[in-house]
Amino acid sequence: MTHEFICKPPQIIDLGLIDYTKAFEMQKELVAKMINGDIEHDVILILEHQPVFTLGKRGGRENLVVSEEFLRSKNIEIIQTERGGNITYHGPGQLIFYPIVNIEKRKLGVSDFVCALEETMIRTSKDFSVNGVRDAKNHGIWAKNSQTGVNAKLGSIGLSVKRGISFHGLALNVNLDLTPFSWINPCGMAGILMTSLENETKHNIAIKSVKEKLLHHFKEITGIEI
Amino acid sequence: MKEITELNLPENLKYSDSHEWAGVEGDVVTIGIDDYAQDQLGEVVFVEVPEVGANYSKGDQFGTVESVKAVSEIYTPVSGEIVAVNEALADSPELVNNSPYENGWIIKIKADNISELDTLKDKASYLEMLKG
Repeated sequence: MTHEFICKPPQIIDLGLIDYTKAFEMQKELVAKMINGDIEHDVILILEHQPVFTLGKRGGRENLVVSEEFLRSKNIEIIQTERGGNITYHGPGQLIFYPIVNIEKRKLGVSDFVCALEETMIRTSKDFSVNGVRDAKNHGIWAKNSQTGVNAKLGSIGLSVKRGISFHGLALNVNLDLTPFSWINPCGMAGILMTSLENETKHNIAIKSVKEKLLHHFKEITGIEI
Repeated sequence: MKEITELNLPENLKYSDSHEWAGVEGDVVTIGIDDYAQDQLGEVVFVEVPEVGANYSKGDQFGTVESVKAVSEIYTPVSGEIVAVNEALADSPELVNNSPYENGWIIKIKADNISELDTLKDKASYLEMLKG
């Protein structure tokens, strides 16, 4: 039976632009259904969020460098989540990939799954001629600037694991307005630069083309048939 | 990651399917996460523990272990009342990685019914499950 389960390909749902809370509720519902057996396959959600700041389980509000009133004036909410990591920003033009995957049944370790998501972003960036690298101290993906030597953050990861099922996922900056990142210390680190694929290449990059590459690499790296 | 044959799984402990270990002394059960779990999680950066005096039923989530970029739930294999939590983990969460069965224990729970632990696995059957 286990073998049959593993062979079932995940369902891929493209939600387009969606409110953070709606997508969060959807994830929780899917995880609950996977736990009680109503759904026997993994699910991959692909989406973009409307502008929002989210806090990791252990917070990050102290890394907000503007007032909450200022954010209200911009109509941007701050939402507490259960994922790992610190404060971050999500908005249109940032590609979100939530693989809701039973990593326990697939015998994927949590740290390996984090690495697989990083590798997925690195290979995807490379397809757009951006040199994405890891940083030993700070997880996520950084665009390497060989001229200045200063790397800028291109993609982030935050996961939750409930009864062996991983949810939340990765966020890759494609063509979003980077201004809101200047209102926080992203991931709890002061003075870091944020970037996007479009900012690095100075070319227009469509979200759709990044989606296809991301799915392709995720499949190749994890061995999960899509 | 470690090969299954490299795992340190003491004979005197019992193991849950969700990778917690349980050590019994009278009706008090010490619980932590086992070598397999700490290895799969990677470097632990924070452990969320419950309050002493809290009551849980078998299978309930009692805390979380945060490794780099991931928060994972942990579950109690026995019902009862929390009588101690490992305060050292607040400053040294890495004890869960370095010493999962000794300095890295997470909670002590006074079991309502110690026979609930009968459903847990011994080393040999736990290894069988991991090999799956």
